[in-house]
Amino acid sequence: MSAAHPDPPHEGPILDLVPIVRRVVGARIADAATREDIVQETLARVVASRSRIENDSLVPYAVTIARNLIASLVQREQRDRRSAHLLADTDDTEPRPDEELLRQEEASTVATAIARLPEEERAILLAHEVDGTDTATLAADRGSTPGAIAAQLSRTRSRLRVEYLVTQSGSEPPTDRCLPVLVAVSSGDRRRRRELDADGHLLSCDFCSRLAPGLVPPRARRPATDDTRVPVREDADVVLVRQKGREVAAAAGFSGTDLTVIATAISEIARNIVKFAVRGEFVFSVLEEEEAGGRTGVRVVARDSGPGIRDVAQALEDGYSTYRGLGLGLPGARRLMDEFEVVSEVGRGTTVTMTKWRR
Amino acid sequence: MPTADLEPSGPLRVSILTQGGYLVASVHTALDDGQLLRFRRDLLDQIGSRRSRGVVIDVGALDVIDSFACHTLRTIAEVARLRGAETVVVGIRPDVALAMVELGASLGPVTTALDLEEAFEVLADRAAVPPAGPLR
Repeated sequence: MSAAHPDPPHEGPILDLVPIVRRVVGARIADAATREDIVQETLARVVASRSRIENDSLVPYAVTIARNLIASLVQREQRDRRSAHLLADTDDTEPRPDEELLRQEEASTVATAIARLPEEERAILLAHEVDGTDTATLAADRGSTPGAIAAQLSRTRSRLRVEYLVTQSGSEPPTDRCLPVLVAVSSGDRRRRRELDADGHLLSCDFCSRLAPGLVPPRARRPATDDTRVPVREDADVVLVRQKGREVAAAAGFSGTDLTVIATAISEIARNIVKFAVRGEFVFSVLEEEEAGGRTGVRVVARDSGPGIRDVAQALEDGYSTYRGLGLGLPGARRLMDEFEVVSEVGRGTTVTMTKWRR
Repeated sequence: MPTADLEPSGPLRVSILTQGGYLVASVHTALDDGQLLRFRRDLLDQIGSRRSRGVVIDVGALDVIDSFACHTLRTIAEVARLRGAETVVVGIRPDVALAMVELGASLGPVTTALDLEEAFEVLADRAAVPPAGPLR
């Protein structure tokens, strides 16, 4: 084949086609790069078909090829334009403006929350979370132990959750107690909560009671087995709470008489809450032997956000009554239980903590 | 006390029956303060409308008799006495009685009896030997 149609004699006519094709394409396509693409594509096709085409047909053939290429290019462009709406979002990687705004707000809230952390805590958190420094290295740098650093990190994260919500709320905690209480809630540290009387604070502080539900760590979200909470607001709750107390005490192994004694004490205290306070709650916990020196007991904590008791000592005296009862509420309950403590702050509320030990 | 003057919903908590010239009030479940006050009102009304000479209150179903329940029982007995009826409280459970003593709550002058039978005997004695002169 190459012997019958040797290439060299045909080179000339193809080179001669170049200006003709350029003119044809140039008349229809404005864009220089596209124009050159089509010219090259035309020449390539002419070369590919060279053996089948007579010399004098070369020019019309090349011109037809060029026109066809231009036509299909235009068709493709039109089709793309027509179906453009179908593809509207597919390659749109830009976030929508509202999403972008939310993302920015989120980022600035987190940044503010991090900035509010104490400096040393922030440094450790950033080193660990951002730089990826492990606790052992951090401990070595600070002359501490990996365990202590891990505990510190956990506290810092709890604190960060609090600072995040505080930042998000757009207001500052109203009292000095708020932040420690919220951190204790966030870290799920039950001992710390008790020390701070966190539950009492949550009852009286609107700011904290609003934030606290979002802070409870996931693992503590299921109800603890040894804490039973019962809200007290109205008459019917008095019956409910004393029955609940009886159940908790029965589960702790208390016997018939003790159950009634505990229920009676609860009844007296619950009535005080209904009569004098706006809202209150009872928390029952079973004190197990290891934390109570070999004994088992039931602890009843009754809190309210009421007006408080002006003179606790007087309220603990027999016969002192501010309404037409027998004046037995507090002193009576104290006689029924083994341990009894009243903490009251005028205007803030009262906490009665009482314990009965199993004999 | 929001429930004090409302009809209690759910099962009947106190039934008041007549037995001869006496009223027998049986408490069926634990009562809250509002229900206790309603019970007091109902019972005192019945004493008047039925011209009762005696009232027996069965508190066997009360899980707790605290200071308010004591106060209410004492009030009932005192008002009933002023309206000419003697009151006997029966059915205080042993554990409830013990808790009342430890609490320091007292039914004071209110007569108590172990069961209905004794309560009727007490009432019969009172009627037979009235404290001030003959009854009729």
